[in-house]
Amino acid sequence: MLGEFEYVLMTVAAGLGESAYGAAIREEIEKVAGRSCSIGALYTTIERLEKKGLLKTWMGEATAQRGGRAKRMVRVTPKGMHAAKEFYEAMMRVSRNASWATGEPERVS
Amino acid sequence: MSSLAEMAAIFLALKDRDAVLGDLAETGASGWSALGSVLGLVVRQQMELWRAWQPWVASSVAFAGSLLLLSVSFGLSVDSRHLLRGEREYGSLLCEALLMLSWAWTSGFVVGSLSGKTRWVSGILCAISCLSCVLRFQDTSLSRLCVLLFLLPGVVGAVQGVRRARLSHRTALTLAIAMTALMLVWSGMLYMQNWFLFLPAWWLVAHADRSKLSNEKAAA
Repeated sequence: MLGEFEYVLMTVAAGLGESAYGAAIREEIEKVAGRSCSIGALYTTIERLEKKGLLKTWMGEATAQRGGRAKRMVRVTPKGMHAAKEFYEAMMRVSRNASWATGEPERVS
Repeated sequence: MSSLAEMAAIFLALKDRDAVLGDLAETGASGWSALGSVLGLVVRQQMELWRAWQPWVASSVAFAGSLLLLSVSFGLSVDSRHLLRGEREYGSLLCEALLMLSWAWTSGFVVGSLSGKTRWVSGILCAISCLSCVLRFQDTSLSRLCVLLFLLPGVVGAVQGVRRARLSHRTALTLAIAMTALMLVWSGMLYMQNWFLFLPAWWLVAHADRSKLSNEKAAA
């Protein structure tokens, strides 16, 4: 099963589609998930997910904005989509009776 | 982006280097922040490597193997001196030298083939054991460097291990049997205390055997 950060990264990469690469994924994670994302955490996780066959990466175009350096483009593989869907469904099942999921007021003992 | 970050990026693989430095330039990271990001990735990548068992085995073989081979090298040097005094036969010294060479080479080969990107740790562990032994060496009739006889075949083995990763089954088996027979014939059970040094040779046999089986399966 995926880890929480792995799931976040894959979901963001899937959402960015064709324009998913290191800096864009990092920016999106910080914006949407509201948490800081270090370059170290990002690239080691990408590396691990690629080894598991859940992501595919390749070197993309170089731009002047990047000092003429290439981007590492990221795409979620079909196996990755399946793993992310499994994680999402498991979280939904686990959360179904929790007060924050049902909208019921929290019981205080 | 600071030139310090660019210097630190030499520890990254080429594709990571381009991507990371490009990301830092794009986000406008500079100075210590950029350096911290690059070093953070270097440290994380190294830690990630240690999640596998191979670096642990390679480091153990490098450290424990060096300690044993230091004493084997010393024993060989002492016996060479005895040979010069006519207290030892050529045959037995040759067997001892061959054993030392093969122990060092097989240990180096296993360390080289298993270490991968963590081979610098194996190198440091080997250097620590060698240095501590050389600095504490007290026999004035022999050079301190006599304990390092195993280093050259060990390093040659390590370099070949990095390049080839595995031996053919026949070569590995022949080597392991020859080493074991040589020790039994030459010293009886005297050198059985060094049983640890046979593990790399037999590990190479087991490793070669598995690759042979998988090749046969692929062919079928």
